[in-house]
Amino acid sequence: MPRIGPTVVLCLALTAAGAEALESGSPAPERSLAPLAGTRRPAPAWQNRSWLNASHPLTLPELEGRVVLLNFWVFTCYNCTNTVPSLVDFDRKYRDRGLTLIGIHTPEFPPYAGEHDKANVERALDQYDIAYPNAQDNDSRTWKLYGIRYWPSFVLIDKRGDIRYEGYGEFHVGDANYRLWSRRIEELIGE
Amino acid sequence: MRSDSFPLPRVGTARWIVLLLACSARPDPAAPLRVQYSPAGDSTRLTLIASAGVRINARLKPALELSDGTLLRFDSPSLTADSAYFAGRPSVLVAGPAKGIRGTLRASICGDEAACRPFVLQL
Repeated sequence: MPRIGPTVVLCLALTAAGAEALESGSPAPERSLAPLAGTRRPAPAWQNRSWLNASHPLTLPELEGRVVLLNFWVFTCYNCTNTVPSLVDFDRKYRDRGLTLIGIHTPEFPPYAGEHDKANVERALDQYDIAYPNAQDNDSRTWKLYGIRYWPSFVLIDKRGDIRYEGYGEFHVGDANYRLWSRRIEELIGE
Repeated sequence: MRSDSFPLPRVGTARWIVLLLACSARPDPAAPLRVQYSPAGDSTRLTLIASAGVRINARLKPALELSDGTLLRFDSPSLTADSAYFAGRPSVLVAGPAKGIRGTLRASICGDEAACRPFVLQL
């Protein structure tokens, strides 16, 4: 006659009782707020065609000689919109010194959530006083091109078009990560 | 006889395999979200339960895209003070029994790292 331990018996009992149905999803992310110092590598060229706050679709080659900060965001992300005041501040302080800040607006949900709608993005730009260029990334192509995983994320590109720093997570005007990003921007502007 | 074992009725090999597979379908302790199914009359209430440190984005309400194309949104009357996250567990009522629910669950989850990411689960 077969013999089994109490653990298996308990498992069988729970199964028979129709225990709560549970499902699992993707694994938890690593935790890091600090901007990551990446190895220097060429920034891939984005191909976004729909832009706001720009007279024409910006390209990476035309920005050679300027420092570029890409901000991957979406207006439904609270952490993203909480970080916008810092980015608006960076744009105000550094635009004339050689920084081009670009928002890459990448929806998180399918179109039914309204994130793909250009009018909604436009309203968000108005709401948060965003004057810097924004590209709609409705097919997530640029998100994937840069290997982004979280909202908000940041990629800092130097004057030669190389990625120098990457990171993610909310920060606020004057806090440690704001100061760190500010130092990074100044470092690259000064090169 | 060992004290931690005791006899069970004789069962066939196939039945043992089925039982062991059922036991292996335990929740992943690392999963940020899990779904609880509760009968509600002829329907089933699906409730999202977040792991410790995980918040569910209320600006982008979790959605269940049923296999017949129906779109259902999870909701809860209880939000955080800034209305950004659910303070109560969001739920949705789905017609029919739990075993018939098939579709894609999407949620935007945010954690201690102050960043959000998508959670997608096939039901």
